[in-house]
Amino acid sequence: MTENETSAPAGPPPAQLAPVGTAAEADATNAPPGGAGSGQRPPAEDRWSRATKHVEGAPEVHVHVPRPPRWYAVLWSSKKARIGIVMLAFFVFIAIFAPMLTPHDPNDSSFVPVQDPSGEHWLGTNTLGFDIYTQLLFGTRLSLAIGVLGGLGVTLIALLIGMVSGYAEGTWLDDGLSFLTNLALVVPVLPLMMVIVAYSETRGLGLLVFVVAITGWAGHARTKRAQIITLRSREFVTAARFGGDGMLRIVFREIMPNMTSLVVSGFIAASTAAIAAEAGLSFMGFGDPNTVSWGQMLFQANANGALVQGLWVWLLVPGVFLALITTSLSFVNFGVDLLSNAQLREEEN
Amino acid sequence: MRYYARKTGYFLLTLWAAVTLNFLIPRLQPGDPAEVMVRQLTGRDGEIDPTQIEAVRAMLGYADENVFVAYWKYLQQLAQGDLGVSFTYYPFTVGEVIGQALPWTLGLIGVTQILAFLLGTFLGTYAAWRRNSRFDSFISVGSTFLGNLQSFWIGMIILFVLAYELGWFPAVGGYGYTTPGWNWLFVADVLSHAFLPALTLMVTAPIGFILGMRNTMVQELGGDYIRLAQAAGLPDRKVALGYAARNALLPTVTSFALSLGVLMSGSILVEQLFDYPGMGRLMGEATSNRDFPLMQAILLTTITIVLTASFVVDLLYGVIDPRARKSR
Amino acid sequence: MANERTTPVLRVEDLSVRYEPRLGTAVDAVKHASLTVSEGEFVGLVGESGSGKTTLAQAVLRLLRKPGRVANGRIWWGEDDVTDATENELRPKRWRDVATVFQSSMNSLNPVVRIEKVFTDVITAHSDSDADAAHERACELMDMVRIERSFLRMYPHELSGGMRQRVNLALALALQPKLVLFDEPTTGLDVVVQKQILDEIRRLQAELRFGAILISHDMGTILDFSDRVAIMLDGEIVEDVATDTLLTGGPQHPYSVHLLGSYGELLGEDVEGYDAAGLKAVEEREEQVAQIQEAVEVPTIVEITNLVKRFERRRGFRVEHVDAVTDVSLTLRKGEVTALVGQSGSGKSTIARIITTIESPTSGQVRYHPEGGGEPWDITRLNRKQRRVYGNAVQYVFQDPYAALNPALTVAYQLSRPLQNYRGMTKQQALDAAAELLEQVGLTPAAAYLARLPHELSGGQRQRVVIARALAPDPTLLIADEPIASLDVSIRAEILELLQSLVLRRGVGMLYITHDLLSAQMLADHAIVLQNGQVQEQGPAKEVIENPQAGYTRELLDAIPNPFQDRSVA
Repeated sequence: MTENETSAPAGPPPAQLAPVGTAAEADATNAPPGGAGSGQRPPAEDRWSRATKHVEGAPEVHVHVPRPPRWYAVLWSSKKARIGIVMLAFFVFIAIFAPMLTPHDPNDSSFVPVQDPSGEHWLGTNTLGFDIYTQLLFGTRLSLAIGVLGGLGVTLIALLIGMVSGYAEGTWLDDGLSFLTNLALVVPVLPLMMVIVAYSETRGLGLLVFVVAITGWAGHARTKRAQIITLRSREFVTAARFGGDGMLRIVFREIMPNMTSLVVSGFIAASTAAIAAEAGLSFMGFGDPNTVSWGQMLFQANANGALVQGLWVWLLVPGVFLALITTSLSFVNFGVDLLSNAQLREEEN
Repeated sequence: MRYYARKTGYFLLTLWAAVTLNFLIPRLQPGDPAEVMVRQLTGRDGEIDPTQIEAVRAMLGYADENVFVAYWKYLQQLAQGDLGVSFTYYPFTVGEVIGQALPWTLGLIGVTQILAFLLGTFLGTYAAWRRNSRFDSFISVGSTFLGNLQSFWIGMIILFVLAYELGWFPAVGGYGYTTPGWNWLFVADVLSHAFLPALTLMVTAPIGFILGMRNTMVQELGGDYIRLAQAAGLPDRKVALGYAARNALLPTVTSFALSLGVLMSGSILVEQLFDYPGMGRLMGEATSNRDFPLMQAILLTTITIVLTASFVVDLLYGVIDPRARKSR
Repeated sequence: MANERTTPVLRVEDLSVRYEPRLGTAVDAVKHASLTVSEGEFVGLVGESGSGKTTLAQAVLRLLRKPGRVANGRIWWGEDDVTDATENELRPKRWRDVATVFQSSMNSLNPVVRIEKVFTDVITAHSDSDADAAHERACELMDMVRIERSFLRMYPHELSGGMRQRVNLALALALQPKLVLFDEPTTGLDVVVQKQILDEIRRLQAELRFGAILISHDMGTILDFSDRVAIMLDGEIVEDVATDTLLTGGPQHPYSVHLLGSYGELLGEDVEGYDAAGLKAVEEREEQVAQIQEAVEVPTIVEITNLVKRFERRRGFRVEHVDAVTDVSLTLRKGEVTALVGQSGSGKSTIARIITTIESPTSGQVRYHPEGGGEPWDITRLNRKQRRVYGNAVQYVFQDPYAALNPALTVAYQLSRPLQNYRGMTKQQALDAAAELLEQVGLTPAAAYLARLPHELSGGQRQRVVIARALAPDPTLLIADEPIASLDVSIRAEILELLQSLVLRRGVGMLYITHDLLSAQMLADHAIVLQNGQVQEQGPAKEVIENPQAGYTRELLDAIPNPFQDRSVA
């Protein structure tokens, strides 16, 4: 544990010769040598590193402690993450400016049905008389909304259960919560979603977010629990307790900052799953018929025989957009994973 | 043998919890489930005939006010294999309806899952062994992209191209105009109908195994025992297969059962699309017809399948990992 | 000793190894290192963590991984230049020319196969032997390291750490290698087991006459074993001399002087040219301790009587008992250092955990005498207010400064929390007080350290911050749990000196927990030797160590080499 030089270089290189900045260096030089017993002696590293590093008369060599690269630099260093961020920015742009990018209304079904792509209708119209291009643009909004809200919901439940369970490791509380987590993990998600939606009397975004959160938290809770357990037994947590800090402060100020990248990557993964879940549920006919979403478009396309009639645009485009938005999120997550795993930074090409 | 006893106990406990969850789901919904059901069945907002509600209640076993009595009855009925009567397929019981559909789904899912596992671990192993090669990045980028495609959308494209445009395979159903029975004609018919749904599932099913196997194996390759094997000059193949892959396989095997659950979800969508006579289509029908007994029985069956698979995998795991048998 | 006429078994010339991570700066982990090992020669390679010794070993074994690469220099195994050899060219030479026992070799056996399989894999890969011959050879090797042959049928996880290391040793010798590279082969093992393994290595090396490189940060072992010592600092080999020369003629490089001096200081040996940390012997501090204790009414801080801690472990329906601590009594007083000495599992950490109220005793009493007199408190029955006072009074100095500081928070934050919590300071006041604390532990100027994150500090600096944090609430008792065990040899003496001077200056008491009798002798007034939870010996530290009564104490003492004296006798 104390020695692992082979893996060290990927993290911050060991700060052996770590003089302290010019001021510190100067001061260390002036300190009386061997003020024994005073506790004021400069640390040994400074003393012998001075001997090796600073040849008399030579200009002072400032040995710099390499800082670990900043998080945004790490993120941006990954080609996949770069592509993901650009793609995601593109979708956010579409979602925000959708009304300005199309002259039509997504709920307007007054167009002549089944038109081929034209200057007026860039991707044509469908059998119900909607403008496909417009619906595609506005569908971005729902997907992003469900991604953000569903991701948040899942992350909150997972954090709560994972953190409590991990912090109470070995107790009955943990046993109970872990059992619940494992149970939730084996329940196939889609059938459960369908049962819940079928019982519900309302349809809409709120229900979708609820269903996504209630079915999707288990895996994330498990990883967070494991993470908490490793962090909790670390000495700095005990140290904070000895320092008089309370449990909440320890969890949020000491432990949380060390698992940010895990929480973020969990959030992104949950968002991806939420977007996919919405699409699946809508495709099964459980979406809100009054909103425009890509899943809804695919549902209508399938229900109205787009396949048989060869209306491939109607079919193709929403699916491609769905794939692109979730791919962009996965790509961003490649970058986020690099933050917590320095070893991975050497892998990618 | 303590390992096996513990795993069996855990399996039974989880099964009981799932059964209880299934009992609780309708009761956790806000409002009177029977009333909700009648409203939804009749589509009426205003006054409802109270006798209708009573009738539904009795049918669902909600007649007893006492939850514990109801729970006890529910367990008794379940033990006898009585899952109630289906609304849609009345007078058939839920058990009979599911019995019809289950073999189709088990066949479809079982075959794809096993193929996906074999293909996935193979590709994952190879990608990890040749990591950072062209093949590796092709596999990892390709998996990411394919993994983000929706199975039902893939199905639509496949249906469109292979069935409608090219006409190579039948588009929908489980079999055509042959008579069911153990003859070659029927078997061939079933296989040709199952091919497209299976193909659709196979596009995404191996991806979890590929990435899982690749990542754990890359991790294992960094292990001390690998380094030692290399220092000792063992042949590459031996280090890759006998050492790294052998160890990396363990977590992949554990994920087998959970990925079966994912595949089940996928198959619901795909069966719906291909009108395949399995549990997935049945689930779609049950939910859109608000056939609550059928719907819940299907949920319970799928959970039980995944649980059982996970139990079998656990037992198997004890055989392949010497540490599991002993520790804890 | 070294045979000059034959080709050396290993020759490294002007070797540089560079790590080039995709992000961040490239680091030269090894710089222009040259090293030669002759047939049958035992070379010790010593250096701090991060000095590049393991990297050098990886390069020598041709096992460097990305992002590391050989940037300069050449490596010969015997007569073959292997610097650029391909894996296929290397494979037949591996394990015959150079074999190895890794650090942390707990994990160096394939966990899912029986041990015999690893042996047969290695043996059959390099010879035409069939399975029977390989089995025969494996049995021979087991005999050689004195393990029952039946262990071949076991899985690695069924073996204890020491056993596994013997197996690794046997495995390294499977093909009668010309050179064996031992990379920290005993790290993580218990002191007494360490000694057994090292003795085994020495015996086999003397018998089989293979060349050996022993990498370690343990000066004692290195000096005791090696014909020649190479000292690494910051990637360079700064000293490469015969061990006798090093001990008698004195080292040349200032770092070597410091390393040897710091090591010697804990043994009570002077090394010429070493600027001693200045630990005070018992006689020197007697007076000060007396002054401290006279100044207060009750010098006692914590009093432990007949402490018992029994752990229960449920295994199925049976309940197993483990007595971690049996009937221990001790008193901690102001100005005094009490050493609790024992191996891992001796119960010394359990006692510390009980004093810090993390665990509660099964029976016996732990009483705290509050500042300003009054009835002593039973620490298992503290009310809310008392718990706070007690938590303030007893502070902890952790073993591993890399784990004890939160990597995500600045030094200023971590120091100011206890100040705010216990001393009711505002943020600004706490910051000023934190700066003052840093100066007290020798980190000057404090301003340069406050804004730093732990990874920007060296190991010694981190440990100083840990000590400063323990001092922050102005405690009366410090529990120091192996405070120097994770530190590099060259700074151990001065951290001990810092602790000692703090105890005397601030008049606090200290419980010093250690496996190392010698440091206890240097630091402590009282010593208690623990084995399996039972007190073996108790008394003034000097007496316990100079005139040990219990057999166990002698055993512990024997495990500590003193190369200075061994050499002067020889």
